[in-house]
Amino acid sequence: MKGVLATFVRELKAYFFSPLAYVVLTLLLLVNGFVFWLIISFLNDPRAQIGAPLELFFGQTIFFWLVMLFVAPVLTMRLISEERRSGTIEILMTAPVTEGQVILGKYLAAFLFYVFLWSPTLVYAAVVAYYGTVDWGPVAAGYVGILGIGALFLAVGTFASTLSRNQLVAAILTFALLVPLFTFGLLEQLINNEVVKGVFEYLNLWQHMDDFGKGIVDTRRLVYYLSATAFFLFLAARGLEVKKWR
Amino acid sequence: MIEVQNLTRAYGELLAVDRVSFSVSEGEIVGMLGPNGAGKTTTLRMITGFLPPTGGRVRVAGRDLFSDPVDARREIGYLPENIALYPEMRVSEYLRYRARLEGLRGSEAKARIGEAVERCLLEEVETQIIETLSKGFRQRVGLATAILHRPKVLVLDEPTVGLDPKQIIAIRELIRELAKESTLLLSTHILPEVELLCDRVMIIDRGRIVAEGTPQTLHERWVGNTVVRVGLKEPAEGVEETLAGLGGVASVTPAADGGGRYRVECERGADPREEIFRAAVAGGWVLVELSEARASLEDIFVRLTTRDTALSPAPPAAGEGQGEEVAS
Repeated sequence: MKGVLATFVRELKAYFFSPLAYVVLTLLLLVNGFVFWLIISFLNDPRAQIGAPLELFFGQTIFFWLVMLFVAPVLTMRLISEERRSGTIEILMTAPVTEGQVILGKYLAAFLFYVFLWSPTLVYAAVVAYYGTVDWGPVAAGYVGILGIGALFLAVGTFASTLSRNQLVAAILTFALLVPLFTFGLLEQLINNEVVKGVFEYLNLWQHMDDFGKGIVDTRRLVYYLSATAFFLFLAARGLEVKKWR
Repeated sequence: MIEVQNLTRAYGELLAVDRVSFSVSEGEIVGMLGPNGAGKTTTLRMITGFLPPTGGRVRVAGRDLFSDPVDARREIGYLPENIALYPEMRVSEYLRYRARLEGLRGSEAKARIGEAVERCLLEEVETQIIETLSKGFRQRVGLATAILHRPKVLVLDEPTVGLDPKQIIAIRELIRELAKESTLLLSTHILPEVELLCDRVMIIDRGRIVAEGTPQTLHERWVGNTVVRVGLKEPAEGVEETLAGLGGVASVTPAADGGGRYRVECERGADPREEIFRAAVAGGWVLVELSEARASLEDIFVRLTTRDTALSPAPPAAGEGQGEEVAS
């Protein structure tokens, strides 16, 4: 537990000290702000269908996914790669901590920073609430989706980071793992077999976010995120353990 | 304190460490000496649990490094070669992080950090960012984190490499100080360092221990008998015979140029310089040189690690204990 706490605190500090984090934060705010503005202008038009802005905001535009697919690799690429490249891994892994503790500490720091990145979007909810009415149920559900899918994506990135001492390679690897994870479910429409279709439907992240935005929280999906997160974190701990590289 | 048995590490085809066995008892300072690439760092990395060995086992303070790695690492303080630190952290911040990693907390952590800072003379840089520190200070920060948890065993890989002479002296003093409380295993390719610091030396070459013993026994074993150089102002008759007749003298060889210089090999443990002086006085020779040609550890080292030279120890003598050649 002490090992988790020590790496968590250090890693979180490292996030706030690195310029990259602020670049990501700024870009995320720009993209989200722009999307939010688009949605509001769209709904303002009398010809537009009736819709809730935040429902559209969570997952019904491609922007959300672009952000997710970009943010997860960038946030996690440094975690283990940098320790390997600079050599600090040598004194880290000769300290009385296990691989699992190190991975968990670093992952939790990445996750907390991710939460911090999304926190400014609460302002949009506040803005909508000020000028109109907000159905808080779907908003909360939307955030559940953001946290759940984020948890999974960051776990994938953490795993990829243990595989290379080059941050860029780690980021590209994360991206390469996330893209199929994301697009896999989209193939649902092309499947006729009922059983296979069911599997793809279960994995269709786009559909998941769409439902979360509408306020539908399906616990099977949360089980999927959590178990897949645990699986990738387990792989990450093993990846760190394979120390045959010098 | 440290027991190493048949430790082996292969990198692909290359055997970096080949069935190395040794042990270090409590309170000892043991030096590992070897040319670059001899397998020192690999051995130390396996002892500290960073690198898994291909074969063999390591026990530190009675704990097996592979079945009980976390507890074993708790007993070890490790200073790697070219220590890497997080550049963006402040020294005090980094020490707090390491204390937390070692499981120290609250007032205990504070006290230990204070102690480490004081011993490693880090007061003046405590609030500095690590990136801005000189190599010497980084090394000291590394040492401070190695001793933070008061480990029973300290493993130092090339502790003085890349430092200026003044810093080297300071670090050596610190190491001697630390040795009072911990068992020390250090590696170096600098010979005087071993002679200055260590109780026992292992000479490593191509992944094997080629010689082991105290600096003293290594001398006796590998250098052979003392040689005295005698120089006379002018050549004289019968010098060679007279010298050869003195007690404690094994053989006398005149220098090739015949200019009154002689190489006198002594019997083990004998020092015939006084007799030589008296003989010179009696014979009326003018002595201009009378000195012991002591081969340094350096000579042994070069002899042992030069690839093409066949290894042959000096003729064995009675009463020899340590300093055995390790069968290879």
